[in-house]
Amino acid sequence: MNHAFLDKYSNLKSLIHKLDPRTKIITFLLFIVFVITNAPTDYIQFLSYSAIILTVVFLSKVPLGYVFKRIIVIIPFVLLVAIFLPFANKGQEGWIIFGNVMIKSILAVLATIMLSSTTKFHKLLKGLELLKFPKILIMILSFMYRYVFILVDEAQRMERARDSRYFGGEYLRQIKIICNIIGLLFIRAYERGERVYQSMSARGFDGNIITMNKLEYTITDVYFYIIFIVIIMTIKIWSLF
Amino acid sequence: MHIPDGFLDTKTWLALTAVSGTAIAVSLKQTGKTLGEKQIPMMGITAAFIFAAQMLNFPVAGGTSGHFMGGVLAAILLGPFTGILIMTTVLIIQCLIFQDGGVTALGASIFNMGIIGAFVGYYIYVILNKIIKGSKSIFINAFIASWMSIILAAAACSVELSISGTVPLKTSLIAMTGVHAIIGIGEGLITIAVLSFIKKVRPDLLELRHG
Repeated sequence: MNHAFLDKYSNLKSLIHKLDPRTKIITFLLFIVFVITNAPTDYIQFLSYSAIILTVVFLSKVPLGYVFKRIIVIIPFVLLVAIFLPFANKGQEGWIIFGNVMIKSILAVLATIMLSSTTKFHKLLKGLELLKFPKILIMILSFMYRYVFILVDEAQRMERARDSRYFGGEYLRQIKIICNIIGLLFIRAYERGERVYQSMSARGFDGNIITMNKLEYTITDVYFYIIFIVIIMTIKIWSLF
Repeated sequence: MHIPDGFLDTKTWLALTAVSGTAIAVSLKQTGKTLGEKQIPMMGITAAFIFAAQMLNFPVAGGTSGHFMGGVLAAILLGPFTGILIMTTVLIIQCLIFQDGGVTALGASIFNMGIIGAFVGYYIYVILNKIIKGSKSIFINAFIASWMSIILAAAACSVELSISGTVPLKTSLIAMTGVHAIIGIGEGLITIAVLSFIKKVRPDLLELRHG
């Protein structure tokens, strides 16, 4: 089965893809913190941040249709805020809150899409590791990433088996079937975990994974850092006046 | 319950990030003490399992649908501290790869679904086990604990949103806990079904509870 949906566009070649994961992680976090600490009515700053992220989207060559589709995931949450507007308000304030969360969350989602679709997952983890993220979590994440495809496949196979034998019906029965699928999925996952562990111990696994991929900063990273920091600081200082 | 970036204000997300960060550090230390390196592939695969199980949606009244969270189940199977770590990794993947929930809201999500959903849920289960005893009691207790873990996590989520000034507390609390009271029933049923299935097929797995 095809699981390209995870880091689908991470194989493209572009300036953004070439950057060191650490550069991307750090600038990504800075960008998000700047965006979400912005005052709700400071539209000029919002426009500038949008310009930055759109430039990055353009440079990364990730298809716009895909980016747009991923932005849609936040719509349910925006609606969550929207439902409360009639209750919350004295006039305009509700719409300001609505606009504020909407702009901020869209900008942040765009930044996250850029990070995840221009960086291969194992490189992202390596970057996090070098940035002193706890090692055990990195290892759990990499095992999880390795096995999630297999389990999703298994879950989808069982779901397909259910759908081909079952034509709807009462609610309780539906829950019962889902429960059996999940129970079976756990047993299979657990047994697979045991087998994987045994085969890893047999090959000398001592709790450490040694990889060949080394990360190195290049001159592009230095330029990117400088340009990014100059632009984002200019925006901040500009807004103070 | 995945909160996007921008829905929480700075004080709220900073405070929750600090709380969750501390909880993760404590959990890492605790699991490091009790479990060997064996647990690492196991925890990764269990996290992958929780992640895959979360992809199965079930219908909730009124056209909406909910999905399984799995916090209490993970904690019952592998222990409360491991439960926090597993939920943390699931949430990190959802945030970075699927943009379900924002990066700055990650601390809040870990607080809601890891600390409340797995850890608190687990201790509700442990306390209930001391009060209610009998042959079927672990299933009843697991149901109540996982139902409560969903309600509490939903309540925490609406409190966080209202502290941030995004939504009014009273209406959001009623709406969130209302919807999640129904989702919680699904969660509880799935949790007991999985537990009884495991008890039938691999009863030894229920004796693992160690970290």
